[in-house]
Amino acid sequence: MAVTVTNKKAVRKPEKKRKLTWAVLKSQQQLIWMSVPLTLYIILFAYVPVWGWTMAFQNYKPARSFSQQDWVGFKQFKFLFTDDDFMRVLRNTLGMSIINLVLGFVTAIVLALLLNEIRKVIWKRTVQTISYLPHFLSWVIVTGIVATSLASDGIVNDILMKLHLIKEPILWLSEGKYFWGIVGASHVWKEVGWNTIIYLAAMASIDPALYEAAEMDGASRYRKMLHVTLPGIKSTIVILLIMSIGHILDAGFEVQYLLGNGLVVDWAETIDIFVLKYGIAQGNYSLATAGGIFKTVVSVALLLVANWTAKRLGEERLL
Amino acid sequence: MSMENHQISPQGAAGVTIRKSMRSSKVEPVLFNTFNAIFMIFLVVVTLYPFLNTIAVSLNAGNDTIRGGIYLWPRQWTLQNYKAVFASGTIYDAFWISVARTVLSTVLNIFLTTMLSYTLSRKEYVFRKPITVIFVLTMYFSAGLIPGYFLIKDLHLLNSFWVYIFPSMISAFNMIVIRTYIGTIPDSLVESAKIDGAGDFKIFLRIIFPLCTPVLATIALFVAVGAWNSWFDAFLYTSSRQELSTLQYELMKLLSSSMNSNSNPNVAAGVGVNQETAVSMVTPLSIRAAITIVASVPILVVYPFLQKYFVVGLNVGSVKE
Amino acid sequence: MGGRFKPLVRLGILMAMTFSVVLSGCGGSKDNSADNGSSSTGQTATGSSSDGKVEPFNVSVFIGEAGQQPTPDNKIYKKIKDETGATFNFEFLAGDINQKLGVMIAGSDYPDLMTGNTKLTAAGAYIPLEDLIEKYAPNLKKHYEKYWNMMKDPNDGHIYILPNYGVYNGKLNSTWYSGPAFWVQKDVLAEAGYPKVKTLDEYFDLIAKYKAKHPTIDGSPTIGFEILNYDWKNWGLFNPPQHLIGHPNDGGVVVNNGVAEIFADKDYAKQYYQKLNQMNEQGLIDKETFVQNFDQYLAKLSSGTVLGMFDQHWNFQNAENSLITQKKFNRTYVGLPLVYDTSTKDYYRDRAVLNLNNGFGISVNAKDPVKIIKLLDTLITEDWQKTFSWGIEGEDYIVNDQGRFMRTQEQRDKQSDGTWKLANKADALFGNLPKIEGSFSDGNSTDAAAQPEEYKAGLNDYDKKFLEAYGFDSYVDFFSEPPENPIYYPAWSIDLVEGSPAKVANTKLNDLSTKYLPKAVLANPSDFDSVWNEYTSQIHKVDVKAYEDKINEQIKWRIDNWSK
Repeated sequence: MAVTVTNKKAVRKPEKKRKLTWAVLKSQQQLIWMSVPLTLYIILFAYVPVWGWTMAFQNYKPARSFSQQDWVGFKQFKFLFTDDDFMRVLRNTLGMSIINLVLGFVTAIVLALLLNEIRKVIWKRTVQTISYLPHFLSWVIVTGIVATSLASDGIVNDILMKLHLIKEPILWLSEGKYFWGIVGASHVWKEVGWNTIIYLAAMASIDPALYEAAEMDGASRYRKMLHVTLPGIKSTIVILLIMSIGHILDAGFEVQYLLGNGLVVDWAETIDIFVLKYGIAQGNYSLATAGGIFKTVVSVALLLVANWTAKRLGEERLL
Repeated sequence: MSMENHQISPQGAAGVTIRKSMRSSKVEPVLFNTFNAIFMIFLVVVTLYPFLNTIAVSLNAGNDTIRGGIYLWPRQWTLQNYKAVFASGTIYDAFWISVARTVLSTVLNIFLTTMLSYTLSRKEYVFRKPITVIFVLTMYFSAGLIPGYFLIKDLHLLNSFWVYIFPSMISAFNMIVIRTYIGTIPDSLVESAKIDGAGDFKIFLRIIFPLCTPVLATIALFVAVGAWNSWFDAFLYTSSRQELSTLQYELMKLLSSSMNSNSNPNVAAGVGVNQETAVSMVTPLSIRAAITIVASVPILVVYPFLQKYFVVGLNVGSVKE
Repeated sequence: MGGRFKPLVRLGILMAMTFSVVLSGCGGSKDNSADNGSSSTGQTATGSSSDGKVEPFNVSVFIGEAGQQPTPDNKIYKKIKDETGATFNFEFLAGDINQKLGVMIAGSDYPDLMTGNTKLTAAGAYIPLEDLIEKYAPNLKKHYEKYWNMMKDPNDGHIYILPNYGVYNGKLNSTWYSGPAFWVQKDVLAEAGYPKVKTLDEYFDLIAKYKAKHPTIDGSPTIGFEILNYDWKNWGLFNPPQHLIGHPNDGGVVVNNGVAEIFADKDYAKQYYQKLNQMNEQGLIDKETFVQNFDQYLAKLSSGTVLGMFDQHWNFQNAENSLITQKKFNRTYVGLPLVYDTSTKDYYRDRAVLNLNNGFGISVNAKDPVKIIKLLDTLITEDWQKTFSWGIEGEDYIVNDQGRFMRTQEQRDKQSDGTWKLANKADALFGNLPKIEGSFSDGNSTDAAAQPEEYKAGLNDYDKKFLEAYGFDSYVDFFSEPPENPIYYPAWSIDLVEGSPAKVANTKLNDLSTKYLPKAVLANPSDFDSVWNEYTSQIHKVDVKAYEDKINEQIKWRIDNWSK
C-alpha cells in the first residue's frame, strides 16, 4: 500500500509557475520543437475552418461567394430554440446520453475488472477478442437483431414467458418508456468489449509490486481489486469521464433513427435528428451550423465544470 | 526489491495471487471463479451471436433470408453473396488503398501523438497549458462540412491519397489517453535521465516511448480501426478518382446500389423470374451481411496481434531503481 | 534493456513496410493511369487510321446515386468507344447526396455530365441546352418535341436537363404495374370465386372471411392487413385516402380543378383511418405493424401469412420473388384499385410522366459541350437504344420469324445476374440517358419486360389459370385504363425549394402523420375521435398555407406554360 502513496506523490508534483524568459525557452527548446509545429498543424486543420461558423448567421447558399451571402442575424438560432419540439429533443438527448454514459462506464469498468481476474491468458484474450466483435457491425445490423429479438415472437419475449414473468408478449418498441433503456442496452451490447480495451491497457501499467505488497498484507481478491486495480486505473477513468461529459449532447441519431417509429417518436428524437431533418436534409447548412455551435457551447461549459470539479476533488484533470 | 520480482509475468502474478488467497479462504475464490466463468460464457454467447448471425446470413440465399428466421446456421447455402461482392473489380485496388492508409495513419499517429503527449506531460513546460487547451477543444467542435472542404481544396489535397493521412495525424482524445498513461510513469525516470544529460527528444524516444507500449497498442488499435472504417473522406474528397477509392467506400456503393436496384420503380421488372434465377438473386439483406464480413475480417485480426503488448509495460518497476 | 527496444524495432520495420506499400501503391496507380493514357493514345492512332471520323474523348460523369463501375472490358461501353470515340469516367455516389452536393456546389467542382438535381440547377451548375439541341442534335429535338415546354426550368425558362423517362413513342405495352394499390393474396380471391373487388369495405370483408376460415397459414398465425411506415417508406400509411376518392398520386395533396389542398385532415381521410381502427378492433391488423422495420415487413410478406396491405409494388418485389422461389404462387399478390363507393372511378394507374428531376445535364465546367450533345444525339437513335435495352442481337436476344424480339431462358436469367450485367450492360449510363419508351418503329417493345411474348413466356401455370378466371391478359387489367394526365400532373414532382417555409411545413406535416396516425388506428374505438381531433388541431398549427400556396403557384405556372 505504501508504494501507492509514493507513486501518487510522484505524479502529483506541485506545479511550479515558471516565468516565460529567453532562458526558459532555450532550455525547453526541444519540447517546443516537439509540440509547437503540431499545434500549428491542428490550428490549421481544426481552427482555421471555423470561419465557417459565420454561416450560422447567414442564409447560406453554397453557390454564392462569401460577400454575396444574406446575413440574417440570429434567425437560425431562433428557429432552433423556439420550435415546439426543441425542448422535447433536448430532453431525449440528455436522457439517452446520461443513460449511455452511466451504463457505458459502469459496464466497461466492471468487465475490465472481471476480465483481469481470468487466470488463463488464452481465455482472457479469447473473451476479450470476442466481446469486441459487435463493435465492427454497423448499427443497421445490430438494430436489426435488436428489433428481431424484441418482436412479439422474439427471444426476449420467449424467455420472459417461459420464466412466467409476463403472460403476454410485450411490444417493447411500441412504448416510449422502454425506448431509452433499449437504446442504452443496445449501446452496451455493441460497445462494452471495445470500451474495456482502454482500461485493460491502463491495468497493464499497474506495478506488480503493489499486488505483492497487498498479498503480504493478506488482502483478499476483492480488496486487491478495490485497493490496487481500481486506484491504478482511476486516473484513466476520471479523464475519460471528464471527456465524455463534454459529449453529453452527442446522443447520436443512427440508433434512434433505426429503432424509432411513430409510436415512440416523442421519446426517440434527438437534437442530431432534429438538426438533420431541418438542416442538412433541407439544404439548410446554416441551421446545421447553428446546431453545431449550440452543442459546442454547452460541451465546453460542461467540460470546464467537470474539470473544475475534478480539480476540487483532487483528481486527475484534463486541462 | 529485487529485479526478479518485478519481471514477473502477469500469469505468474495472477498465479501467486490465487495460491495465496486459496490459503486464506477457500470458498470465496471458488464462488468468484464460478460466477466469473458463468458471466464470461454469457458475455461470449451474447457478443458472438450477432457476428455468427451475420456470417450465417451471408452464406444463405438472399431470397430465403428475406423470410427471416436465420440464426446461427444457413438454411440454403450459397456463395452467391460473396461472389457478388468480389465480382466488383474495383474492390481489390480499394483494399490496398485501405491497407496503405491504415498502416501509414497508424504509424504517424502513434509517433506524433506520443511525442506531443510527452511534452504536455512535462509539468515544467511553459506552453503546456495553452497547447493542451488548444488540442482538447478540438474534440468539441467541428467547423462544418463546407469550410472543411474549402481547406482541403486550398491545400490541394482533393483527389490525392494524402487527404486520407494529413487531416487526421493527431487526435486529441488519443493524446489525452497517452498523456494520462505517461503520468503514471514515475517522474524520477525522466529526472535522472536529464541529470545524465539527455535531451527531451532523446528521453521521449528512448525511455517514454518504449514504456508506453500497452497504451500505444490500444491507440494503434483505435487509429487503425478508425482509418480502416472511414469512408467519409473518400466520399467527400476523392470520389471522382476511382483508383483512390477505399474498400469501405466501394462496399458502401455496392450496398446502396443493391438497395437501389430493388427500389427503383423503373428497374423492378419481375418478369421472367423463374425459380433458378430467383434463388441466385442477391438481396440487400444478404449482401449487407457479406459486405460486413469482407470489410471487418481484415481489421479484426489486428487486435489479437496487439493484445500481447498489453502486458509488456509491467517492467516499469525495474527501471525505477 | 534490449528487450524493451523490440517494439521500437518492430515499429521501424512496420514504418518501412508502410512506406514501401504506399510508394508502390502510388507508383502502381501512377503506372496504371499512365498505362491507360498510353493505351488510349494507342487507340487514337488506330482509331484515326482506320476511321478518320472517330476521335477519342473522355466524358466525366457524376451519377447522383449508388452504382457499380462497369468492368473495363464491358462490351457495350467498348462498342460506344469504337463507334463514337467516347469513354466515360463515372463517379457514383454512396452516402448523403445533400452533403456531397453542398461541397460540389461550394467548390464549383463539376464533371462534364451530371444527373439532374434541383440544387444543382438552382446553383447554376448546368448550361442551357436549347440552342445546342437546335443546332447540333436533330434526333434529340425530335425526341423531345412534344415535351419541349415541360422541360423548361420554372425559374428562368431554360432547358437544363434531358429527362430520362416519360417520353413515349408508339404503342405502350404494359404488363407490369409497379405503382400503389391495395394488394391482396391471390388465394383470397381464388377461394372467394374470383370476385371483382371494388370498394374498401368489400376488400376487408374478404380478408376477414378468409382469416376466419384460415386462422393459420403453414402453421403461423394469419395476418389480415399490414401497414408499413418505416423511415421514408411512409406511403402505406399516408397515401390511401387520395386514391380512395378516385384521385391519382399527387403526394400530400389532392388537386381539384387545378387547386391543391392537403388531405391529411379531411373527412375522407378520417373515414379511412376510422375503418382501419375498426379493423384493428376486429384483430385484422397486425399488432406489430407500426413497430416493424422494413426487413421485418418483408419477412412477414414472404412467409405467405399476410393477406393484404397498401404498398407500391416495387417496394415488396423481393418478398414476392421469395414466395415464387418457395413455389407459393397462391401467396403472391394482386393489386386492387379500391375506392370508397362504386360510383367513383379508380385512378391508381397513371400515364407515365416526364421525369423532370432526373436525366443528364451538361455542366458549366464541360470543355466541349457540342461534342457531348452530339454524342447524346447519337445515342438516342433506335439502334443504340436497342443495344442498351435489349443488348446485342444473337447474344442477348433473338429475333423470331415475325421480327419479334425474344429471349431464351438462359438469356433471361443473365439479365438478373448482377455480375454478368457489369460486363455486358451499360445500365449506369442508360438509366440516365434520354430514352425511347413504348415501342420501336418495328413494333417491338423498348423494354424487354413489357414485350407481351416475353411476359407470357415468364408466366407460371398458377398465374395463367388465375388470369383466365378473370379473363385478363395481365395483372394490369385489374386497373382502369388511365385517362390523359392533367396538365400539371403530378404535384409530387413540384420542388418546394430547400429550407423554404413550404418545405418546413411539409416536414412538420409528415412528422405529425407519423406520430398521430398509428395512435388513431390503435386507439380504442371510443377514443378515436379525440385522437383524430388532436391530430387535426396539431395540423392546423402548422403553416399549411405556405405549403399549399407553393404547390398552387407551381400548378398555375405549369398550366400556363405547359399547355402551349
